[in-house]
Amino acid sequence: MEGSAPAKSSKNKVYAVGVIVFLGILSALYYVSAPVYLYIVVYMWFGFLYGALQQYGRFCFASAWRDLIMVKVPRMFVGIMVGAIVLSVISAYVFVKFPGGYHTANIGPHELVGGLLFGLGMVFAGGCATGSLYKTGEGNMISLTVLLSLSFAQAIFVALPFFDTLMKKLVYVLPANVTIANLIWGHKGPDGNYHLPDPAASDGGIGFFQHLVADSLLNTVLVAVLFMIGVYAIVVRKGFLKRRANELSANADGGEVKMGLKDDVAGFWSMISASRRTSIAAILIGIVAAIQIFTLNWMKEEYDFTNFGQVMTLTTDSGNPPPESWPAKDHASEVSSYGIMFDPGYWYITTQEAMFAAWAIEDGSGGSIDMKNNIYFGGELYEKNGQTFGYPGGNAIPKPWHSPALLLSFGLILGATFLSLWNREFKWKFPTKELFLYAVLGGTIMGIGARIALGCNIGGFYTRAAFGGPGGWIFFIGMGLGAFISAKFINYLANRKLEEMDFDIEL
Amino acid sequence: MKFNKKEDGSYELDVTGYVCPHPQLYTLKSMDKLQDGMILEVLIDNPSSVESVTQACNSKGFTILEQTSPKAGVTAVKIQK
Repeated sequence: MEGSAPAKSSKNKVYAVGVIVFLGILSALYYVSAPVYLYIVVYMWFGFLYGALQQYGRFCFASAWRDLIMVKVPRMFVGIMVGAIVLSVISAYVFVKFPGGYHTANIGPHELVGGLLFGLGMVFAGGCATGSLYKTGEGNMISLTVLLSLSFAQAIFVALPFFDTLMKKLVYVLPANVTIANLIWGHKGPDGNYHLPDPAASDGGIGFFQHLVADSLLNTVLVAVLFMIGVYAIVVRKGFLKRRANELSANADGGEVKMGLKDDVAGFWSMISASRRTSIAAILIGIVAAIQIFTLNWMKEEYDFTNFGQVMTLTTDSGNPPPESWPAKDHASEVSSYGIMFDPGYWYITTQEAMFAAWAIEDGSGGSIDMKNNIYFGGELYEKNGQTFGYPGGNAIPKPWHSPALLLSFGLILGATFLSLWNREFKWKFPTKELFLYAVLGGTIMGIGARIALGCNIGGFYTRAAFGGPGGWIFFIGMGLGAFISAKFINYLANRKLEEMDFDIEL
Repeated sequence: MKFNKKEDGSYELDVTGYVCPHPQLYTLKSMDKLQDGMILEVLIDNPSSVESVTQACNSKGFTILEQTSPKAGVTAVKIQK
């Protein structure tokens, strides 16, 4: 049996290479079908990179708050702060290079409520929205249960009349696109949202350094550093200084040692560097997220569209007939009433899964259930200040293989599969009754929370905060409150379970 | 989840099949029950929990004696209190 380990290891690596070959063939098929489909293939490969990096760094937003609260481990919390800082610096350049390429959703108390529900759910589920994707790639069917629950809960929730009412209230009352740069240099438009000066105007809009100071340094770096200092002071400092004093005392033959500022600096640094792989993954994810934005925006310019829904309706930006690289026939039934589909152009997770669930419900019912009759999927126009606008939404219900962001999620799962196979960490894992209940409950609450907050841990917090939106931090705080409540509850259940166990320890 | 005595002062906690946060939670709660010098070997098949378990043990001053992979997808972490 001893000789079988290397054989199994090499078998795993063959499977890992098989994943790459499969994605390669799939990419080629898309290209042969129509070269413009390379756009969604690129989404898929960025998903692959996210999945591999998340698996490498065990990158899950649920553990950021949960492990901090339950086992006093700040690894993931710090990793997320580092990643947000990296992404925010690059995002300052993205704003200049692609003005209008990123908009934050409406800011308000719904982010706190949605974040709280999301935090509650993610601790029960054992992973956030994106963490559940990469864990599914590790063969974890409990995480797949979470994903399916999250997807269907969202699809059903947004189809309820309540959600349309909520969306209308949010859009009428709360401004969108609130970033620090917009608050300083922008203005409120007739739609009630903030807008920066037009870069094409005589004043040339605002530049890189203004975005860097306002959106990156003030909104992200400063807040992230303050959060990390708080975590160090509350969770890490006492234990670190105690261990350091013991070590120094032993070296000084038991003499008394005094702790000072340099010891706190050492403690702070040890907190950041405690998990090398999480920090490396965090930095690389920030860089990949930025490169994705550049690449997709560049492709849109090259292929003459601003939203992939236009490819489905064969409508170019320039008004010219679609070039030969576009599909020969249209798929107009797959876009919303605005003629678009969900195509964020950056790292996003939950919306495409809601779209997938809606497609499954519609398709599974043979078309007798219409999931598009709402703002979220179908879209709706509204009047404000004498002008007509479209509600945020209109994400559409395309076929899964035509959904750019869903291809990202698909690639993310397979990226994690690739790396976990390569490192012998892949293992099929099926839910027990207890874990199934946690997964369904957690996934459902997370899905509802994500929709109320108009985003999940990525779109609602990570990219929102890194792109200068203070609303992202509101969601993050809500997430922490929710995680605190469910962590306490799970801890209570764990204590009850342990009371029933026989530890048989001689004391 | 199974907790077994391997030999005097040495125990095994099997949390395979569990996902976050259960492996790290039960590991720390089991460590609380041990006396100084005792050893706990934890079997985990949830990679992210391995990372959290080792970090939590380091910060509590427990010693990670060994980390092995007895079979694909499973990590054994040997911890001394």
